Amino acid sequence: MSRFTLLKKAKEIGVITERYPYKPTKVPEGFRGKPEIDPEKCIGCCACIAACPPNALTSLDENGYRVIRIFYGRCIFCGRCVDVCPEKAIRMTEEFELTADDHEELVQEVRLKLVRCSVCGRYYDTERHYRMILKEFEEAGLKVDPEVLRRCPEHRMGMSAEVIGLRRVRK
Amino acid sequence: MRILRLEEIENPELKEIYEEIVKRFGDGILRSELIAGNKLHLHVEKGFLRKVSSHIFDELGAFYCTTAGVDERPLGGGFRAYHIFSIDEKNLFIVVSAEASPSLPRLPSIANDVQGANWAEREVRDLLGIEFDGHPDPRRLVLPDDWPEGVYPLRKDFRYDLKEVPRVKKQYPMRRPEAEEYVMPIGPYHPALHEPEYFRLYVRGGRVVDAEYRGFGVFRGVEKVAEGRLTYTQIPFIAERICGICGFTHSSCYCEAIEEASGIEIPERAQYIRTIMLELERIESHLLWVGVACHLLGFDTGFMHCWRIREGVMDLCELISGNRKTYGMNLVGGVRRDITEKGREKALEYLAKMRKELREISEVVSGMSELTARIKDVGILSKADARKLSVVGPTARGSGLKRDVRVDHPYFAYGKVSFKIPVYSEGDVWARLMVRVEELFSSADIIEQALEGIPSGDLMAERIEIPVGVRGLGVTEAPRGENIHFLITGAENKIYRWKVRAPTYNNLPSVPIMLKDESLADAPIIIASIDPCFSCTDRMVIVDEKTGEERVLGAEEILRLARRGEIR
Ligand code: SF4
Ligand code: SF4
Repeated sequence: MSRFTLLKKAKEIGVITERYPYKPTKVPEGFRGKPEIDPEKCIGCCACIAACPPNALTSLDENGYRVIRIFYGRCIFCGRCVDVCPEKAIRMTEEFELTADDHEELVQEVRLKLVRCSVCGRYYDTERHYRMILKEFEEAGLKVDPEVLRRCPEHRMGMSAEVIGLRRVRK
Repeated sequence: MRILRLEEIENPELKEIYEEIVKRFGDGILRSELIAGNKLHLHVEKGFLRKVSSHIFDELGAFYCTTAGVDERPLGGGFRAYHIFSIDEKNLFIVVSAEASPSLPRLPSIANDVQGANWAEREVRDLLGIEFDGHPDPRRLVLPDDWPEGVYPLRKDFRYDLKEVPRVKKQYPMRRPEAEEYVMPIGPYHPALHEPEYFRLYVRGGRVVDAEYRGFGVFRGVEKVAEGRLTYTQIPFIAERICGICGFTHSSCYCEAIEEASGIEIPERAQYIRTIMLELERIESHLLWVGVACHLLGFDTGFMHCWRIREGVMDLCELISGNRKTYGMNLVGGVRRDITEKGREKALEYLAKMRKELREISEVVSGMSELTARIKDVGILSKADARKLSVVGPTARGSGLKRDVRVDHPYFAYGKVSFKIPVYSEGDVWARLMVRVEELFSSADIIEQALEGIPSGDLMAERIEIPVGVRGLGVTEAPRGENIHFLITGAENKIYRWKVRAPTYNNLPSVPIMLKDESLADAPIIIASIDPCFSCTDRMVIVDEKTGEERVLGAEEILRLARRGEIR
């Protein structure tokens, strides 16, 4: 066998390098690209933030809003946020070309309105989550006083066992 | 304090070993315990540390794995060093540890008896401040030159998020060249591996007479980040980023250690999936290396073909896991992603093609005398030296040591597949090349059998509970050899101590031996022959020949000088 074997082989195979980036390249199904939050679905529960290994996801409560923020400069595209999101609000897209001139281009923010505790007045939950719980009680045929749910966890202490014991369970 | 009774040990070989140790060193054994049936922990009185270690290394023929230092002051103790040994042919591990006082931590060094412990003890000294009495070379190892003395980053009272540490002006004391010896720096980047390393070769007339290594330019303290900030389920992701080529072996090894320590049984399907991914990773890694070796020898056609073949396995992994290289599939308790029918088909298709093409290339390579002449009888590591340093992986198997974690300490689905382990006794670069080439075929065998035998079922264990204060030892065979993760679990969903020892750590100290008396032109391929995994740095040392003064240059300065053509 001579070294020309490989030369011959190269000729046989031809050019295999792709014209990327001049021609777009395809990624397979299930590729873990840039994660995106659907702002219509996110309830601001922060489960994704607790799971995110490099702290690419953060949240900040400010002026009556909760801001859920992904910074792609830190993201490692692991998809753990997708695993844990109870609302399936995050998905991994096929996008991977993330070069940017500015930090701020590498950010996605979701703003959610917060509700106040009817006793102490502090913000304690997002409005969307609060409404969702109300609705779920209704659908389960359980009557709860909306006022009770309008209390922060601290001021719900000592309320009737049914109310406190009722937690949202997803199948 | 508890001493294991003989009846508590089921394994007859371990029983015998333990009996002998107790008979000889009874007074020195303060505590002993058995973990997972084959890991014997001996807490010894520090005066016995050397004797017990030598007994295990010399008389029991164990290999030395590594040493982990732990700050146990918050647990009510002092500082402890755990020396880990493996008795390959009996599938046993013996962990010998001794405690140093919290105020003045000192322990006797075992590095004179067990040469392989030289680096690990220096690392423990750097990071935890245990002084090892009688150490043959107590220079700094992992911390940068300008790090102040007396600041120990792995101590528990050192905050993981500390931003600034005062820097000092200091130089690493390299050996000075003797008369008629010239210094030839190779680094700060390896010419072909594009990774940071700094080898200082002492040359006399084109022959290498001595070599020194200064590495760890990018020691980043991932262990500290994990201990300080991350939860158990987050660590696999940082573990996978320890290496850009064989990261999956690290996340697997970490999970294995936690699962074993906590008694978590992972589903069989998950074990098979881990095995398959680990072997795909080995194929990717070995093909990369064979290509680089061809490139270093000036055979770029071979390099191109190897990397072309490799591209197929990258695509395959991307299809299965969602990413070419960081598979991100491991979690404590199992795997997150299944191998689909499509993935299975593509894998089988790829393996068949790879076998055929690899055979073609290796036939061509072995037929090229100008290529083989440059690697045969070059860079020799004798079996005795290999054993003394406890080298691992293809480096060991190229020097006649038949050791492979997949067979010696089977994990995941490795016990259920059969494959060949190539061993060559020549100890030269050629032997290490042949081992890797043949291993590529073995990996294909393993994957095919695993895809055949993979049972259906769950991917994650049902119950995942991690108790506090248990010790785990994970061992996997990475593409470069035995990979070790030692850990102690902690409270609040956090790890107390996580020690990682990648295979290159045990292999690098063998490079100066391989380089001795070789010609300078062969140095790059000899260094590359252990398939070293360094990491990134931006420094280099310049020695002024007239004054003997050394300067460390930053990246910008290097670039400026290089453009002006002033670096000779
Ligand atoms: S993909 Fe991973 S790193 Fe990125 S935001 Fe989600 S959890 Fe964080
Ligand atoms: S994206 Fe999902 S997990 Fe994250 S805050 Fe919104 S709902 Fe919660």
